[in-house]
Amino acid sequence: MKRRSIAVSVLSTLALSLTCLSANAQPKEKISIMLNWYLYSEHAPFFLGKEKGYFEAEGIDLDIQEGRGSGPTIQAVAAKSVPFGYADVSTMIKVASKGAPVKTIGVALQKSPMSVMGLSEKNIKKPEDIKGKTVAMTPGDSMSQIWPLFLKKTGLKEGDYKVVSGDGQTKLNAVINGQADLLLGYLMDQNIKIQDATKKPVTVIPFADYGINMVVSGIIAHKDMLKDKPDLVKKFMRAATRSFEDATKNPEAAVDAMLKANAKAGQRESLIIGLKLTTPLYHTAETEKLRPFRVSPKDMNESFAMLLEYGGLEKSAGKVEDYYTNEFLP
Amino acid sequence: MKNLLTSQWSRPVLLIVMILILWDVVIRVFNIPPYLIPTPFSVVEQLWNEWPMLVKEAGPTTWATLGGFALSVLVGVPIAMLIAYSKLVESYVYPLLVFSQSVPKIAVAPLFVVWFGFGIIPKIIIAFLLGFFPVVVSTVMGFKSVEQDMVDLARSMGSTRLQMFFKINLPQALPAIFSGMKVSITLAVVGSVVGEFVGSNSGIGYVLQKANGNFDLPLMFAALVVLSMIGVILFALLDVLESLMIPWHASQRNDFQATA
Repeated sequence: MKRRSIAVSVLSTLALSLTCLSANAQPKEKISIMLNWYLYSEHAPFFLGKEKGYFEAEGIDLDIQEGRGSGPTIQAVAAKSVPFGYADVSTMIKVASKGAPVKTIGVALQKSPMSVMGLSEKNIKKPEDIKGKTVAMTPGDSMSQIWPLFLKKTGLKEGDYKVVSGDGQTKLNAVINGQADLLLGYLMDQNIKIQDATKKPVTVIPFADYGINMVVSGIIAHKDMLKDKPDLVKKFMRAATRSFEDATKNPEAAVDAMLKANAKAGQRESLIIGLKLTTPLYHTAETEKLRPFRVSPKDMNESFAMLLEYGGLEKSAGKVEDYYTNEFLP
Repeated sequence: MKNLLTSQWSRPVLLIVMILILWDVVIRVFNIPPYLIPTPFSVVEQLWNEWPMLVKEAGPTTWATLGGFALSVLVGVPIAMLIAYSKLVESYVYPLLVFSQSVPKIAVAPLFVVWFGFGIIPKIIIAFLLGFFPVVVSTVMGFKSVEQDMVDLARSMGSTRLQMFFKINLPQALPAIFSGMKVSITLAVVGSVVGEFVGSNSGIGYVLQKANGNFDLPLMFAALVVLSMIGVILFALLDVLESLMIPWHASQRNDFQATA
């Protein structure tokens, strides 16, 4: 009697484990991507893709890590601490020109969300209205570096306005509390936060409306990884492309997926508004018909030229082709 | 030549030179790329090129440091005296002071900018908050270690409380107060830079932020060197003041004393 029950239990365990094995036939590799900042609406597509199993289907067990700024994320990828990063491509070009062996394999935001914004009640709708106002900016970040170009294109001069400098949180506080009238920020990030905090509408003046377009966030990887593991990179980008396409069609689902993974990511409605403002930036007029991430050489050249003139990029930086590639895209 | 080599200041300078050489060697041996750690030569180059700008920006930082430090002493010493002389005050106030030290100032710094604006005031306040505690702790200890025999002797000879304070208590507490002040001033430098990180158009903290944003590591290190120099100079000034005010103290006996 006892021997029979043992045999049964052994056989059933074997059968169970065989079915488990066949279900997980593909071994999953744990791959991390480090984001450019703490979670906000721009990151939702990754969570959607993970939830829908796009990464799993490619054999990738995706681990999404929050970052502390594009700079540290790029350095982490350069030091091989993480295989993939999601960071500002203009910053990446600057770091790469100083020797960091990184490249971008897919530019997510091809249109710039950079803008100057303030509470609508201040009635600042056109660049001329900026005269005499106080603008809050963060010294050294990409927006404050492109700001002189915005001034040039809109006919403003330094001295037409006052400047206060501070870090990200201080800029927000300054506008919310009235210490500053405007801040330089992304049109799907700070304006949502200001609206949430003050319950008042925010007017945004995008730099892109004045012909200033620089590519922004993209997926970056170490050059060694592109050489040694091209298949993994292709699989990752295939999953990422599907994720971003789905997020464009269904932003609500993307935000829900992000909130399920991390309930503190933000307010659901604000995140959905933010994501809906972000998805139009995935394409420019050049790449409208293409799938996400496929940046056009013309747009990259434009951004590179702007970086050379205004962004502090040195002439020794070389050609823009050294810094990006579309060859790993589906 | 022998005098120069064995003089007071040659030893730290020699150590600095050795560290610079070691730094350069480590970078060469391990092939560390310039975007992770800059070479000492590039830092010195930036120091040379940007010296006028760095000195100009050191001004606001130094003023904020001095302001915060002055507040630490002006507020810290009287509070410490109250704590030393009254068990009641000590039991109420001291635990709260210790608790307040654990609050990370960098977390509340943005709030100070909201409350006090973008001028020099929030920086002075943060420098004060960082530098205040060492002054209080060492001053309390200083006043509590006054020799009771001396006080009794003076009282038996008919001295008033005020005379006793200025002739016995204060002088005996001064060595401890000075040691607290020396720690405090180096912390006040940190405090003013933290304030500048959070909201400022000028100062070394501002230079550090810009250098960080541009990945200009040599400039960042150069700014850090200038910052340390500010700390060293202020510390040395306190050292000189100490030797003038308590020349009789045991710590002033040796010919070279960098720390009390």
